[in-house]
Amino acid sequence: MELTDADLIARVLADDDQHAFGELVRRHQSSVRGLLRQLTRTDIALADDLAQETFLRVYKNLGSFRGEAQFSTWLYRIAYNCFREDARKRKELVGVDEEQWQAEQDPHTVDPGLRHDLMHALSLLPLHERTAIVLCCQNGLSHDEAARVLEIPLGTVKTNVLRGREKLKRTLAAWAPN
Amino acid sequence: MKGMIDDETLDRQLREAVPYIDDDGFTARVMAGLPAAPREPRWLRAMVLFGLALLGCGVAYLLSGGGRIVREGVIQMADFPIWLLLVFAFGCGLVVGAFAVIFAIRRTPEVRDLTRLEF
Repeated sequence: MELTDADLIARVLADDDQHAFGELVRRHQSSVRGLLRQLTRTDIALADDLAQETFLRVYKNLGSFRGEAQFSTWLYRIAYNCFREDARKRKELVGVDEEQWQAEQDPHTVDPGLRHDLMHALSLLPLHERTAIVLCCQNGLSHDEAARVLEIPLGTVKTNVLRGREKLKRTLAAWAPN
Repeated sequence: MKGMIDDETLDRQLREAVPYIDDDGFTARVMAGLPAAPREPRWLRAMVLFGLALLGCGVAYLLSGGGRIVREGVIQMADFPIWLLLVFAFGCGLVVGAFAVIFAIRRTPEVRDLTRLEF
């Protein structure tokens, strides 16, 4: 019987069960690290540092998670805050480890050329549009959930997704079927 | 002129362009960075419990008139038939065993999961 996120959270809170917290990390590490890699423009080392900081904050603040939203939404919000604070400190995000990024892609699902163009196009989007696209289109959050993660109005999320999509489609027009 | 990629295809390509990221020790690094739970050492807890138990015994001894009740109790028990003493000992064993099982279930998450299973 697989435990739900809520069961694991309850164990961490009740018994300070670190094994339960480890299971939560294992479940969500891929999506959180993926999100942060997109936000940091594929700076893998920085993204993993931020992901680690995200989970440490989650552990310290788990008691304040009220369960009104999904755990993943709350998690993304903390990850986004970590990224924003770091970006504020750095002012400018640098370092695209393109070779490592390419090596991690699965060559069988998407045309490598299309993937390259897609990720490049995504990295060229302004941060607010890129974040909205990554949360809604890649990670499957609803506009409402993304608005809660980013702490911006719902209409702004919709606009950012729409604009981001249009820009990506324009950039990838060459890949459209005839 | 070529058309545009539709929304559905674009979303699918975006999802597929980001594969599952293997853990590769990430969880272990996070766990190593967790703050240790602020807890007094086990030996200190054991000593406090032992001290309290000893104190309780001493108080009970003094209140019972230097063990007079215990002495009389033992004399009375010596008059009991042997089968009654065996039943009494068995009952005490059951009570202690039941408390031990309850305590073990409360402390062991894996056992707790088994108790939640529905057949």
